[in-house]
Amino acid sequence: MRIRQWSSVALVLLLIWAGAAGVHAIQSPAESPVALPNKDGSFKFSVLGDFGVGDQKQFQLADQMATLHGRFKYDLVVTVGDNILGSERPQDFQKKFEIPYKPLLDAGVKFYASLGNHDSREQRFYKLFNMEGKLYYSFSPKAKIRFFAFDSTYPEPEQIRWLEKELAASNDDWKIVFFHQPLYSSGRTHGSDLQLREVLEPLFLKHNVSVVLSGHDHVYERVKPQKGIAYFVVGSGGRLRVGNIDRKSGLTAKGFDTDQAFMAAEISGDQMYFNAISRLGQTVDSGVLTRRKITP
Amino acid sequence: MYTTPIREPKTEIPAELDRCRLEAKHMAETLLELEAKSSYEDQTRLVGSRIGVVSLVAATILALGACTSCNQLPTPRATSESPSSAPATERVVGPLTPADAQALATMNDRLRQYLDLRTKIERSLPKLPKEATPQQIDKNQRAMEKLVREARATAKPGDIFTPEARPVIQRLLASVFGGPDGKQLKAAIMDENQAAPSKVKLAVNGRYPDTVPLATVPPQVLQTLPKLTEDLEYRFIGDSLILLDVRAHVIADFIEDIVPK
Repeated sequence: MRIRQWSSVALVLLLIWAGAAGVHAIQSPAESPVALPNKDGSFKFSVLGDFGVGDQKQFQLADQMATLHGRFKYDLVVTVGDNILGSERPQDFQKKFEIPYKPLLDAGVKFYASLGNHDSREQRFYKLFNMEGKLYYSFSPKAKIRFFAFDSTYPEPEQIRWLEKELAASNDDWKIVFFHQPLYSSGRTHGSDLQLREVLEPLFLKHNVSVVLSGHDHVYERVKPQKGIAYFVVGSGGRLRVGNIDRKSGLTAKGFDTDQAFMAAEISGDQMYFNAISRLGQTVDSGVLTRRKITP
Repeated sequence: MYTTPIREPKTEIPAELDRCRLEAKHMAETLLELEAKSSYEDQTRLVGSRIGVVSLVAATILALGACTSCNQLPTPRATSESPSSAPATERVVGPLTPADAQALATMNDRLRQYLDLRTKIERSLPKLPKEATPQQIDKNQRAMEKLVREARATAKPGDIFTPEARPVIQRLLASVFGGPDGKQLKAAIMDENQAAPSKVKLAVNGRYPDTVPLATVPPQVLQTLPKLTEDLEYRFIGDSLILLDVRAHVIADFIEDIVPK
């Protein structure tokens, strides 16, 4: 009996300690988690990819996103494509998007989509994806921060010219580009899109892009910084490919391919804090990065 | 508690680098086009690419059906004679022989006719709002589908993928699928394309089957095929290549058995 009481006390203390440490969940004992600071006035967002399957696991991950939003009020979710997998009838938009993310949508969280190779181009007209009929677009949710959505399935020259123009015209401190096919990925199914990298990376380097978000490979991977740019693969929102990360690629800073996951991030000044959170609520990756500052 | 799973490596780094090197050869087309058209690229990168740019321009002119000038250009060497070090445009796609270019030009003519038709149809329909509901998208799609079907009531396979263009497309794709990345490309196409479709009966003017996921069309395939506007897409259903009208969700034409077994 006494042992049970002490266990309860210890558990309560542990929970209090965990709560005081910031917004994060269980973390590998081998690493110290970097909590999202959850500051007033910071910009908070989430990232989700390859999610629209409409199965139980997608719903469970969506629940984790809603749970996090309860204590970490992120403003928006950017999607890195394959938003509605399989059929795209009106009922599919409900089953694969509107119902699972209803708590977030009801709370006013906006989703900004980019399209994946399995997405119909008609999704650009879907109002809850906020694409305003465009396959590629940019938006600034807060001063000094700008996101650029790119249609990487059809990287036509005119789109690339548009991206360069937009990047060049932006004086924002934070330039974050999101699209489906990753420039760097250790996914065994697809891996790095070298053609796309050849075209886009020079633009990112030249125009001070700090973070690139992608999906396509159905895993979570934080790639080691490449030429100073942070790359994340967040294709882990729905149909997972267990064990798909090639650990010998030499690219992986942190990989997670054993369960669904999404990413939450917070930009405060020159820092971006991030957590990757699994379907079971575990913080499977965390860290902080500093924006790029190139001088002309 | 979470711990990162550790797996034994299955792929060695050199193999990965080799794959990267091979894939890198496929990049040339887009890159060269950008280099030729854009000012942001470092001029030094252009130095080694001048010959490639000239080749690309020549191939593009041929491929887009500038038939009047076909005879004025020297006959390029056949794909099979291209050295392995040649840029992707020469090694995989072409350059096209004048005969092949002429064959593909017949398809481009039909594509133009189709686009003219659907532009007229689209104008007759209420414009889809930029912030539409799935029901509005679906309604618009089905209205468009009906009108396209009526306007092309006599359409049949081969009307766009013309009999002249078909063998060229088949040959070009065979060379892509037979290339070093062929196995990977086929796997990418068949990914999410499994449940499909030997049982799906394809029909010109038929609605794209609602239950069949949209399959990947790898960039190497897109580069190889004649370019489309954003209202039309190449897609695969099973091992058939289809031409999909995005707005109408209708199969405009198709070629069966184009992905090798």
